[in-house]
Amino acid sequence: MCARAAGTGKSLLAAALLLLAAAGCTEQAPDSAQTAPETVYRHAMDGAPRSLDPAQASSIYAKMLVVNLYDTLYRYQYLARPYQLTPNLAEGMPQVSADGLIYTIRIRPGGQFIDDPAFPRGRGRAVTAADFVYSIKRHFDPATRSQGAWLWQNRIVGLDQWKDEGADYDREVPGLRALDEQTVQIQLVSPFPQLTHTLAQGFAAIVPREAVEHYGQEFPIRPVGSGPYRLSGFDSTGAVLQRNPAFREPPFSLEAEGYDIETQGHLGLERLEGRVPPFTDRIEVAFIAEDAARWNAFISGETDFIKVPVTQFDRVLASRDPPRLNDDMAERYRLAASLESGFVHTDFNMDDQRIGYHPDSDQAARNTSLRCAIIKAFDWQKRNEVFYYGIGRVFAGIIPPASLEFDPAQDDSWVQRDLDGARKLLRDAGWHAGNLPELEYGFPASVTERQMFEQFRSFMADIGYPAEKIRPLTFATYGDYARAYLNREVMLTTTGWTMDYPDAENTMQLFYGPNASPGSNSANYSNEEFDRLYRAGAAMQPSPMRTSLYRNMNRILLDDCVTISGISRTLILMWNQDAVMLPDRAFVGGFFFRYVDSGAADGAAGGNANP
Amino acid sequence: MNPLPRKLLHGVLLVLGVTFISFLLMVWFGPDQTYTLIGKNASAEQIAEIRQQLGYDQPFLTRYLDYLAGLVTLDLGSSNASGEPVRGLLARTVPVSLALMIPGFLLGNLLGIAFGLSAARHRGRWADRLITAFSVAGMSISFLVVIIAFQVLLSTPYGLDLFPVRGWRVDDFASYLQYVTVPTLALVFITLGYNTRFYRAVFIEELGKDHIRTARAYGAPERTVLWKHVLRNGMVPIVTRVMFSIPLVVISGSLLIESYFGIPGIGLATFEAITSGDQPVLQAVVGLTAVAFVVIQVLTEMLYRLLDPRIS
Repeated sequence: MCARAAGTGKSLLAAALLLLAAAGCTEQAPDSAQTAPETVYRHAMDGAPRSLDPAQASSIYAKMLVVNLYDTLYRYQYLARPYQLTPNLAEGMPQVSADGLIYTIRIRPGGQFIDDPAFPRGRGRAVTAADFVYSIKRHFDPATRSQGAWLWQNRIVGLDQWKDEGADYDREVPGLRALDEQTVQIQLVSPFPQLTHTLAQGFAAIVPREAVEHYGQEFPIRPVGSGPYRLSGFDSTGAVLQRNPAFREPPFSLEAEGYDIETQGHLGLERLEGRVPPFTDRIEVAFIAEDAARWNAFISGETDFIKVPVTQFDRVLASRDPPRLNDDMAERYRLAASLESGFVHTDFNMDDQRIGYHPDSDQAARNTSLRCAIIKAFDWQKRNEVFYYGIGRVFAGIIPPASLEFDPAQDDSWVQRDLDGARKLLRDAGWHAGNLPELEYGFPASVTERQMFEQFRSFMADIGYPAEKIRPLTFATYGDYARAYLNREVMLTTTGWTMDYPDAENTMQLFYGPNASPGSNSANYSNEEFDRLYRAGAAMQPSPMRTSLYRNMNRILLDDCVTISGISRTLILMWNQDAVMLPDRAFVGGFFFRYVDSGAADGAAGGNANP
Repeated sequence: MNPLPRKLLHGVLLVLGVTFISFLLMVWFGPDQTYTLIGKNASAEQIAEIRQQLGYDQPFLTRYLDYLAGLVTLDLGSSNASGEPVRGLLARTVPVSLALMIPGFLLGNLLGIAFGLSAARHRGRWADRLITAFSVAGMSISFLVVIIAFQVLLSTPYGLDLFPVRGWRVDDFASYLQYVTVPTLALVFITLGYNTRFYRAVFIEELGKDHIRTARAYGAPERTVLWKHVLRNGMVPIVTRVMFSIPLVVISGSLLIESYFGIPGIGLATFEAITSGDQPVLQAVVGLTAVAFVVIQVLTEMLYRLLDPRIS
C-alpha cells in the first residue's frame, strides 16, 4: 500500500495527506536484516467469535479458529469432495466392534500442547488419551456451558449419568475411557455411525485440564491447544495466529487429501507435495461484519481472502452459472463457488392449531391443505433471484445438495410455483379470504429479513391471501427470536441450518418428534412413521438402503407440508493469487488454514475454480 | 447547603436513578442471553441450568443490589460471552477509544469554534452563508455514508489509497497517525456541522449584547472584541457542551467508527454487549457512564465559577 501511495500524489489534498501516510510508511519498512521473512496470510470473516473454548465453538467463526488452535482426532480431507473423514491426531480410523457399539482409537504420538504458564515450568506436554476423555466430559459439566453436548447426549454409556451425579472429573465414565496413554475407548448406548464425524467437530477438540483450571472463566480467550497455531492476539476486530513450532503432522500428500487434477489442477497445489504443514507462519484473521468495509479491505490488499458480498457480485462476476470472474478480477484473484453445507427453510409451527395439528380431523385436513397451498404459492425462483443472486441451489425437502444422500433426480414439483394448484387446494378445503387464519411470520429485525417477509406476503397475495392477515412478528435480536420459537410462540419460523457433518441424519433430526421445541425440531412435527424410519436409519451405516430410507422420510415430510424448503446458498469465495489454497467454509471449515501457502504462487494460474 | 456537596448528593441520586432504570430495561426488555448460549437440541433442563448460571432466576431486587455492590467495589464481573473480566475489557478498550476519539473531538470543537466565530462575525454575508451551508451539509449526510466515502477516497485503489482501510496496530506515533487519520477526518466532517451551528448561535447572541457594543464604542479592535469579549463570555455554553460530550467519548466511543475501521474500542464492545445481551459488560458501561456524568457535572460547576465569577 505504501509503495502505491508514493505514486499517487495527484492533488493538493493528496500531497497534504501523503505527509501523514509517508510517516507510517517509513516507520513500517521491513527489517532488511531479517533473512527469512515471516509468511503471512490475512483472512477476513464476516462475523466474530466471542469464545474460543471448543465447548462453545458453535458458530462457523469460532470453529475456524478452534480447529487451528486445538487438535481433533479426525478432520475432513482438504480437497476431497464429497467430504471424506481422515485421521488428524488419531493414528488411523477407529476400530469399531461388530455390533457398532465400541470404538477404539489410537492417538498419534507427537501431539504436544503449546508452552503456557498453565503447565509446570510453563512447558507444554504431550497430548494423551486422558485429555480427550476430559475434553468430552467437560461438555457434560454444567459449569462449561457447552453448546456441543447434544452431539453425545444419550449416546455414550454412563456419560449423562456422570453429569446427573455431579460431574466429578475424578470419577470414571464406563463408556469413555483412556485404556492407556495413547488409546481411547468409547462405548455407545446404541449404534451411532456418525460418531466419527462428531470427533472432527471443533466441539471435540482436545483441551488440557491444567489450562481450563488455571484460566477458569478466562479460558475462552486464552486457548492452550496442540493445533498448528497458537493465539497471539484476539479482540472483537480480529485474531492473530502464530505457527506452533511444536506441531507435528505428516508431510502433505495430494493423494491423501483427495486431490482432483480436473477441478483443482490450476490452483498450483502441486508445490505443496511433501512439505510439512503449516505452510504459513502467521495468520491474521479480521472480523469485518460490514460488507463495504470488508470489500474495501480486500480490494486495497489488506486482506487476502473474502466471502464476496452479494452487493459486489455484479462487479466481480462475468457469468453466474458457473460463476466466473471477469477478466479484470481474474488477473489478480482466484474464485471458488462453494455451495454451503446447509439450507434455509421456513417451518410451520405444527403445535399451532390455526395452521398445524388440530384435534378435529376435518380441521386438521383443512390445515394441511392450507399449508400445502402456501408451499405451492411460494416462488423459489424469485426468492433465489432477489436474495441469492440467482445462484443458490433450490431443492425439495431437507436433504440439501451438500449431503451424500441428496437425490439430484428428485421430483422438484414441490419447489415449482403452482398458483392454480394452490388456489384449488384452498377452494376444495373451503378456505377463502374471509376465513383464512392470521399468519404470524417471525424474524429478527433486519432490512433483509423484512424484505423477505414482504416478498412472502406478495407471493401469498397471488392466491388471495389478504395482506393484512399476514403479520410480521419482529424480534430485536436473534436470541429473542430463538426464545420465541423455541417456546412455540411463532407460527412461521425461518431459520438456516448449517450441517454439522455430511450425513442426512443431521437434517432428519430436525423433524424427529422427540426433538420438538426447545429441541431442534422447531416445527414440532410429529409423525410416527417418520420417527420410526429415523430410529431405523440412525443405527445404519451409510448405504444405498439407508439413502433410500432417508429419501422416503423426505417424501413423508413433503407430503405433510410441514416446511417451505429449501435453498442452499452459493458462496463466492475470492482470494489473492499469491496465496495457494482452496478455502472452505463448509462443515467444520478452518482446517484449510494449515495448508495455505502464502508465498508467491510459481506457475499457478489465476482464475476460477468450482469445486 | 454548600453547592458542591449538594451537587454530589444530586449526583449520587442521579447514579441510582440511571442505574435503576437501565437495569430495569436490561432485565425486562434486553436480550435474553440464554438462547444464544444454549446449543442445538437443548432440553428444558439445560435451559434452566443456563438461566441459573446467568442469575436470571434471582429476584430483581437481589440482582440490582448485587449490581450496585459490584459498581461500588469495582468488582464488575466477567463477560458472559467470553469470560473476560469486565475490568480487563475496559482497561483494554477505553484507551483505544480515547486515542481514537480525542483528535477528532478536539479538532471538531476547535474548528467549530473558529467557524462559528467567523460566521457570527460575518452574519448574513457570503462567509456566513458558506459556513452555514457546509454545516447543514455535514449534518444532513449520514455518518455511515461519510465513513464509507472517506474509506473509499483515502484508503482504497478507487481513491488515493494512502491509509489503511481498517485496523489498529499502533506501535509508535507514525503508525498512530496512519490509523487515526481517516477516522478523525470522518469524525470531524460529521461533528463540525453540529458544532459550528451551535457555536455560531452562541456567538451571535453574545455579539448582540450591550458590553460588545460598548467595547466597540470604545474603539476596541475587532480581534479583541471577538477573542476577549465574545469568546470569553461565550465560554459557559462552550464548556457545557464540551464537558458533557466527554463521557460519551470516553465510555461509549463511536460504534460506527470502531466497527467500520476495525478498531477494538469500547464502542464496539458495548454494541456487541447490547446485541448479545451480555449484561455484565452493559451494566458496567451504563454504570460508569452515569458516574462519569456526575463527575463531569461537578467539574463543570467548578469551571463555571472560574470562567464567570458572577456564578455562585
